[in-house]
Amino acid sequence: MKQRTGTAYGFLSPYLIVFAAFWIWPILYSFYLSFLFTRRQPWTWNPRVTWGRLVQDPEFFNALKNTLLILVVQVPVMIALAVLLAVLLNSTLLKARGIMRFAFFAPVVVGEVAYAAVFRLMFNADFGVINKLIEGVGLPAVSWFSDPTAAMALIIMAVTWRWAGYNAIIILSGLQSIPDDVYEAATLDRVSPVKQFFYITLPLLRPIIVFCVVLSVIGTMQLFAEPFLITNRGGPGGATETLGLFLYRQGFTVLNFGYASAVAYTIAALAVVISLLNLWLGRDAT
Amino acid sequence: MTAGTGSRTATRRRRMTLLHLVMVPLAIVWLFPLWMMVVFSTMPDSGIFSPEIQLIPSTHFIENFRALEADTGFLRTLFNSVFVAVIYTVLSVMLTSMAGWALVRYRFRGRGVVLGVILATLTLPYFVVVIPQFIMVARDFGLSNTWIALIVPPLFNSLGVLFMRQSFSLMPQDLFDAAQVEGVSEWKIFTRVAMPMARPTIAALSIILFLASWNNYLWPLLVASDPSMMTAPVALGSLIGFTRVSWGGIMTGAVLLTVPMLVVFVALQRHFMSGITAGAVK
Amino acid sequence: MAGVSLSDVKKRFGAAEVIHGVDLTVEDGEFVVFVGPSGCGKSTLLRMIAGLEDISGGEVRIGERVVNDVEASDRGTAMVFQTYALYPHMTVAQNMSFGLRMTGNDKADTEARVSRAAEVLQIEPLMDRRPKALSGGQRQRVAIGRAIVRDPSVFLFDEPLSNLDAELRVQMRVEIARLHGELGTTMIYVTHDQTEAMTLADRIVVLRAGRVEQVGRPLELYHDPANQFVAGFIGSPRMNFLPGTVVSRGDGRVRLRLERGGEIELPLETLPREGAAVTLGIRPEHFVPAGQGDCDITLEVEVIEHLGATSFVYSGTRSGAQIIAQRPETPESAEASEHAGERLTVAIPAARAFLFDDSGARLR
Repeated sequence: MKQRTGTAYGFLSPYLIVFAAFWIWPILYSFYLSFLFTRRQPWTWNPRVTWGRLVQDPEFFNALKNTLLILVVQVPVMIALAVLLAVLLNSTLLKARGIMRFAFFAPVVVGEVAYAAVFRLMFNADFGVINKLIEGVGLPAVSWFSDPTAAMALIIMAVTWRWAGYNAIIILSGLQSIPDDVYEAATLDRVSPVKQFFYITLPLLRPIIVFCVVLSVIGTMQLFAEPFLITNRGGPGGATETLGLFLYRQGFTVLNFGYASAVAYTIAALAVVISLLNLWLGRDAT
Repeated sequence: MTAGTGSRTATRRRRMTLLHLVMVPLAIVWLFPLWMMVVFSTMPDSGIFSPEIQLIPSTHFIENFRALEADTGFLRTLFNSVFVAVIYTVLSVMLTSMAGWALVRYRFRGRGVVLGVILATLTLPYFVVVIPQFIMVARDFGLSNTWIALIVPPLFNSLGVLFMRQSFSLMPQDLFDAAQVEGVSEWKIFTRVAMPMARPTIAALSIILFLASWNNYLWPLLVASDPSMMTAPVALGSLIGFTRVSWGGIMTGAVLLTVPMLVVFVALQRHFMSGITAGAVK
Repeated sequence: MAGVSLSDVKKRFGAAEVIHGVDLTVEDGEFVVFVGPSGCGKSTLLRMIAGLEDISGGEVRIGERVVNDVEASDRGTAMVFQTYALYPHMTVAQNMSFGLRMTGNDKADTEARVSRAAEVLQIEPLMDRRPKALSGGQRQRVAIGRAIVRDPSVFLFDEPLSNLDAELRVQMRVEIARLHGELGTTMIYVTHDQTEAMTLADRIVVLRAGRVEQVGRPLELYHDPANQFVAGFIGSPRMNFLPGTVVSRGDGRVRLRLERGGEIELPLETLPREGAAVTLGIRPEHFVPAGQGDCDITLEVEVIEHLGATSFVYSGTRSGAQIIAQRPETPESAEASEHAGERLTVAIPAARAFLFDDSGARLR
């Protein structure tokens, strides 16, 4: 290959300009902003009102607690479900595979606003079809939007509905890259399908599952539209307030850019740390 | 012999039953919200908020749409969404293809740095940049409620660069050398040889980019507050949470946002899947 | 048409030098083959001539022109790649005309050139097909056709036949030889297959680790290799090497004792010192029946390969000191042939033996 720095940058520069202006520069600028008092012009250096406030802001810790709760409950459930879906969808015994795939993969294309609206109606405490069904089997109706636990459960269900299929697609592609003869050999060795799953499929899928977990962690750290739209700006009483929503409020409702930047960097740092932890846990045990 | 095959079929049948006992209820649960979206969109609000369970579509779709159009100029926002998504997709495919091509085809000073920075920052949450982006676009440049504000900043997305880079690197590099020896300019090697060969990748990437732009909510929410510049999700979102709006209308909007994407999904499933798994292959 | 000359051509990748100063002159109209084991730099050298790799040092001329800083497209060369490098989304005709079309060549002229090349290569019925619908041999013809269309002053071939099966390889080899005869254009051809080199080349350039080991006509390399590497590389099966020690010298002759037993006397101009470790080289086809040569050696027969006209006797494979002997085969000899486990005594004729010192240099 010839060295062609000029030609290369000719092709690269349109993208690099956008990339630098709207990704690299904001990343750096955001860090700087997180040390500024931005509620009065001109902005002044004052980390005490950003980072200093962050470490003792109960609202922030409430959002952090909620986000981590979703992370700990929703991500494992969803990934397990996605693995199950992928394996079952891959089965040659499955009938109506096209419809099945459609059922689980369709939510991937549904926008946040559209599905938030449907979930709000479905879970409406008085008229919602879900409560009517619950009452239909003789159980008491649930106050999905005024009971903090129920509201959290609703958010978790909504996010799982939206993203399980997405992860299943990725895991399915990983499954399909495992050669058939591995299973044929195992079958001839009289290994049961369940054992094949735990001793062949899962170990081979591990890198992909770790990838899905990392993606989901990053997604959860920025969870915003669901609590914003479904549970009415994080209600009831901040019970579903997430870090993403907290940042939105600080940044774009109160217009406290400095403080919001500190929150943004905390989100990024947490996402990076949790992702690295996952990668470390998922590394090859060689 | 007969007994052997008999038990084999029996095992098979038992497994099949078990499989469908799990999958059929799950599939119904998963399809339910989509089905309800359609049902709600065809019902008057009196039906949506009636005490009975309503699972069958009604005939109120057009009326609902009129109500939605009255609440917010939805057709206009729908046009905005289409326009933004198309331009964004075309631009993004162009920029990321060119960048991906440069990273595969040329050895140049700074190649490692460029690639390293892209990879290192790939998994950073978008929220880290949204505040400075907003300050820059809305305050410093005063570009709120412009096409530029809606289309250009999201172009930073680097997944396409990696996707295209991978696609080009899987092509036999001899092809490009052959064209080079034949005197074909690098631009024409890119546009006439590499890009036509990358068509499946471009299709997959385009679908993913279009969908991302179509469903994008936060950024347009921040920079397009003027009703004439709102995208459809922002317009629809602005109705949620208020009591004096037509919920049937909102659901009509949700259907109009969702169904076209479902059609694309069904029609181009293969490209769609490879677009979604693109992230996993890097 | 033009010759090609390289003087002190070097190639570095970062700190690593992979071509260490190559000097070579290819005459106008000559067919020169670069041959060597993989990683010897032959393809890199070809790509440097084509302009696909930068030249780190020295000078490359095509005709009278120094082309170091000339773009690949302006060097007047055409290249045929190992992978054929056909554009999968274009038909055969589009593939062949692509370069001319993209550089704004006159349309009628382009068409004329394409159909002439198609005629030469007898691929007219394939012109509307895509590469996917072609066999390996047909693809190779199209790739060559694409090169011909450009009417280059130098053809460059980068292992063009190594993706073909054995039979097609022979057929295409003949085809390329015929083409060279017809066009009379300078051709530089890279291969790792010494048979291709021997059969096609006017001159062969043997490369090893970025250095030219020897340049010469095919039979020159066969009969008069410059060193042990060339001796081993040219000829099939490869030359046998028997380690030994000089026991006495004088009067233009040297006497050595072979490690495996036996002594032999060879005429030599410059005599190595007594006790020097040397290697005797003898080709499988040059052994003579026992008693008719200058030193008898006895082989433990491990495997015999019968090829019809000749047979190869393998011995010493297990001990690592492999010796292969070729023997003519007749209906009678097949009957009386040895079997694995038996012994066979053959003789080395001194006139056919080569001697190398412990650095591999030829002793003459």
